[in-house]
Amino acid sequence: MSESVVQSGRPARSGSDWRLQAGQWATPVLIAVLVCLPFAVTGSWTYTLGVCFANSIGVLAVSVLVRYGGEVSIGHSFFAAVGAYSVAILEHRLGVSLLVGLPVALALGVVSGICFAWPSRRLSGIYLAVSTMALALALPEIINNADEWTGGFEGLYVSRPVVSGVGMSLQRYYAALVVLVAVTYALARLRHSRQGLKLLLARSHPAAADAFGTRRVWARVSVMGISAGIAALSGATLAFASSTVSPSGFTLWSAIFLLVGSVVSFYGLTLPRALIGGAFLTLVPQLLSASGAWIPVLYGLALLAVILCGHYLPKIGGMMHRRARGVS
Amino acid sequence: MTVIVETVGSVLRDLFPLIWSGVITGCLYALGALGLVMIFKSSRVVNFSHGNVAGFAAFLVYGFSSGLLLELSWGAAVLLAVIAAIAIAFVSYALIAPLVFESDLTATIATLGVGLVVQGATLLMFGADIVSLDLPVPRFSASILGLLITGYDLTVLFVAVVTIGILFFVIDYTKLGVAFRAISDNAFAAEVCGLNLRSVHLFAWCVAAILGVVGALLIVPTTFLSSTTVATFMLQAFAAAVLGGFASLPGSLVGGILIGIFMNLFTFYVSPEFSSTFLLGVILLALNIFPNGALAKVGGSRV
Repeated sequence: MSESVVQSGRPARSGSDWRLQAGQWATPVLIAVLVCLPFAVTGSWTYTLGVCFANSIGVLAVSVLVRYGGEVSIGHSFFAAVGAYSVAILEHRLGVSLLVGLPVALALGVVSGICFAWPSRRLSGIYLAVSTMALALALPEIINNADEWTGGFEGLYVSRPVVSGVGMSLQRYYAALVVLVAVTYALARLRHSRQGLKLLLARSHPAAADAFGTRRVWARVSVMGISAGIAALSGATLAFASSTVSPSGFTLWSAIFLLVGSVVSFYGLTLPRALIGGAFLTLVPQLLSASGAWIPVLYGLALLAVILCGHYLPKIGGMMHRRARGVS
Repeated sequence: MTVIVETVGSVLRDLFPLIWSGVITGCLYALGALGLVMIFKSSRVVNFSHGNVAGFAAFLVYGFSSGLLLELSWGAAVLLAVIAAIAIAFVSYALIAPLVFESDLTATIATLGVGLVVQGATLLMFGADIVSLDLPVPRFSASILGLLITGYDLTVLFVAVVTIGILFFVIDYTKLGVAFRAISDNAFAAEVCGLNLRSVHLFAWCVAAILGVVGALLIVPTTFLSSTTVATFMLQAFAAAVLGGFASLPGSLVGGILIGIFMNLFTFYVSPEFSSTFLLGVILLALNIFPNGALAKVGGSRV
């Protein structure tokens, strides 16, 4: 069932050393540009970019699940909501800032991911997709009925600064950027770590992984835990960057949109790819804000286009390659 | 003693109508679930656009019969909507077909894309408002043994029994049905024997679209028609399919009826506000206790 949705890392071609080097430099340059950006753009763009970073983290969460687990979730809005509401509720009840809320959100996200993956640990991909869909549909009910804690329909405000004395809009931007960079760094480390390789092996060759002592169940549950933890971080960051949490931000549609973002970024786990996914989720609604109903149409078309391109482009490329060789 | 008898009596008086109406709505969940399962059985794809397409078709019936798009008689409107749903199923299968043979997970994601487009089209054409769609069902009600039976109930029961009967007849006795069963059992062997996988897949997609439209139209009188209601109705269909093991047609029929009854009992005795959460619990519980469906013998897990 969990055949390759994507290839897990292409081998570097020998003839493209410059491309490898450019790739090494691209991320630090991108980070430097993003650090300087708030001084070059207006305030509303700072806000949008902060939200965009938070969405990028959510896209990463879905991509991790696809890459390492070979599974699809359309319920990641649940884990994002866990993160967002833990930050908001901690601020309201205890008066602590994001510095405390973020680790709590991460921990709660991981725990809820593991709790949720456990019942479906022996089931193949589509069952996870169906049960995450139910999770996403159940979420607004839970939030609205726990209104004593969550503020119901109206939601809660998140306004406590992390560092006092710095403008709030800059804090929102930089907090989101720091979390995003930290998550992509951690994911890059995971890719080369022993645990990351084990997880990838358990996905592509379960029997071999079993022989090396990695059980498929363990791999499944831990991938879900990692992914849900990242989703919770994204929710927490989103709450801080957009200064508010409400149930309308965590519906089935927002979970599906996260998947769209992940597909559009080709399930990439690097910073530029994540930014593409996040920008798609944040900027498209802003550009189309006058005609909201076009957003799902555009997202759906983009999803289909990317998937079909991913299917046909290698074939067309192979055909061109063969033809070019035939001529010469 | 009399107190106990009275409480038992009142519980029974509550229970009977609850179970009866649960069976009625359960038949509709089963119609939705049958479509999902037919597509999954033949092409191993979970069609997440099912609810959106069915909802869109219900809106088309409204648009064609109310004068918003056209002013047609009710039967013609339904016929046109069914044709539209089949056309959508056709197009979406044509888009997804190359992916089906490569990775079923990618194909499943692609159905979400189709669902998004159809949902957007519904919003663009009909807006986000609630509309009222009246079905020409016979309006009468009779009380039998303290049970209130309405014309709507009998219509639903009749339509569901006829539709499901025709479906099972086609699958059991016609050549197409034999091909469908062969492909669901072993697609590779069926292809070696000369069956055309794509045409059978297409058959499953079109039948599923028709079942979805019938289910969506009949569920509308119990709720109302808006761009989101039919999508939530599909959660019940998914739960029914999971309860039935997701690969068994009779299983999903039983699953649908069970979900209908459970939902009614839950909303009456516990809380009407947590129905989706309840369904989530049912799905998780069913996946743990009967990974192969309520009708299957308890055996190995499905990995």
